[in-house]
Amino acid sequence: MRDVAVIGLGMHPWGKFKDKSVGDLCRVAVDQALADAGVAWREIEGVAAASSRFSGGRGWGLNGNDVVDDLGNTGVPVYNLSAGCAAGGNAFNVGWSMVASGIHDVMLVVGGEKMPKGFIQTSGVEEVTDPEYLRQVCVGMPGPAFWGAMCRRRMAKHGTTEEQLARIAVKAHANSVHNKWARFRKEFTLEQVLGSAMVSYPLRLFEICPVSDGAAAVVICSADIARANSRRPVWVAGSAVATARFDDGIPRGLAGPVPAHGEAYHSEAALAVEKAMAMAGVNPPEVDFMELQDNTVFYELSFPEEWGFCKPGEAEGLMEAGETTPTGSMPINPSGGFQSFGEATTAQGIWQVCELVTQLRGDGGGRQVPGAGVGLAQALGLGGNGSAVVMRSEL
Amino acid sequence: MPQATPVVEGLFTDTANGPRLTGSRCAGCDMPYLPVSALCHNPDCDAPDLQPAEFGPWGVIWSLARQDYPPPAPVKFDEPYQAYAMAVVDLDDGLRVLGRVATDDPESVDVGQRVELIIDTLAHDEDGKELSTWKFRVVEQGAGA
Repeated sequence: MRDVAVIGLGMHPWGKFKDKSVGDLCRVAVDQALADAGVAWREIEGVAAASSRFSGGRGWGLNGNDVVDDLGNTGVPVYNLSAGCAAGGNAFNVGWSMVASGIHDVMLVVGGEKMPKGFIQTSGVEEVTDPEYLRQVCVGMPGPAFWGAMCRRRMAKHGTTEEQLARIAVKAHANSVHNKWARFRKEFTLEQVLGSAMVSYPLRLFEICPVSDGAAAVVICSADIARANSRRPVWVAGSAVATARFDDGIPRGLAGPVPAHGEAYHSEAALAVEKAMAMAGVNPPEVDFMELQDNTVFYELSFPEEWGFCKPGEAEGLMEAGETTPTGSMPINPSGGFQSFGEATTAQGIWQVCELVTQLRGDGGGRQVPGAGVGLAQALGLGGNGSAVVMRSEL
Repeated sequence: MPQATPVVEGLFTDTANGPRLTGSRCAGCDMPYLPVSALCHNPDCDAPDLQPAEFGPWGVIWSLARQDYPPPAPVKFDEPYQAYAMAVVDLDDGLRVLGRVATDDPESVDVGQRVELIIDTLAHDEDGKELSTWKFRVVEQGAGA
């Protein structure tokens, strides 16, 4: 396997853009990524793209083909990757795999999305053979209620308070003020978060990510090319995808077995993170910061524990002590996270890579993690898809 | 109970012993399935067949959620909307299953409470026909997580 570097990043800011197409958003991100890398479109040897259910792709998830048509058809191979909200992370893993294995030397990884209004509903398949459809029709548990149930379990087990949950949102938005790509670049007070509408107790509106439009792209290449041509390469130390374990205990459909091995949650995320960290040869203390998928504030508590960054029940205390801020001992989501961006689902995994590169280059400005040398990013999506990447500033 | 139509056929039934969920269980590894499954999906099991199985009625609330806003389709509810509670219930027979909690006071529902499976009204369709589903009724206060 060859070492792989990210040599260029680009993003269209997250937000709602009714007068722009998903193609417009992707073009901004791709043009920036190519310019940042100093690579011409003709030099791209392969495109790994996140397939969207919501926008572009001609109904077949052909979002990479849309980008190629827009930039100009060079005959470049396109790999369209579908993995729900983890699609961006999976596309990055496929791009990395192809460069690492020597199939291509220079690749573009891209994801863009324009989301419909409201919280994301079901899988879109209205048939009784679809477990998500059954869950909604027979019980009625939209995404926020699913997160609410996970959070209630934590409250019962660890005594998590509503105020602690709100403080996580306050922290996220304090970071977002320093991120020009974020949609909500505004500080919120504890009172404002606690005063926002209850969506699914104990989760309030400002503690759950809304949906957004956005696009992100990176140019990746082999180490030889990076060293010869790039001023500012950032290195991929580990990249992995995984799917959920059979009996991890999350109520994904209507029912499953009571897990035999105690409490377990998103096994797809934990597996991907474990694999990426093992590949990188790092343990939690060596990871300087992480970008995790905070669809809701709850995940800033549960994920670090599931991944071994702290012991079960410790996350609240670390957060309250400020350890999860960019200058703390366990910085989480210096970007501002999904709470500040909103979710442009299939672009998220690539946006996270952009944040890792920004931090590892030392370009984080007011949200910079001091001395950041190793960063971790994680995404997950429908179907039990998980992805993770570990990056280093130096090989 | 007046004649109601199950919101989805084949998931629950009212037996002589009371309501039960209807699924399958693996003859090899005992894994429970709802809805009915033709094959066992346990990667560590290669048993060839599943048997029809009934689940319930007793269990414990593993966790729960409250639906504080009217959810979009295809979730069904009657107007005027009233916030409802739903629970993730660990049935005594090994199935972890979702279900609404039958209560007028969603705030009283909590982790660890003992529940009983019931069949109850979910909502009414456009023609006023009653649709039924399974729910859980709290029968005993619990000891938390």
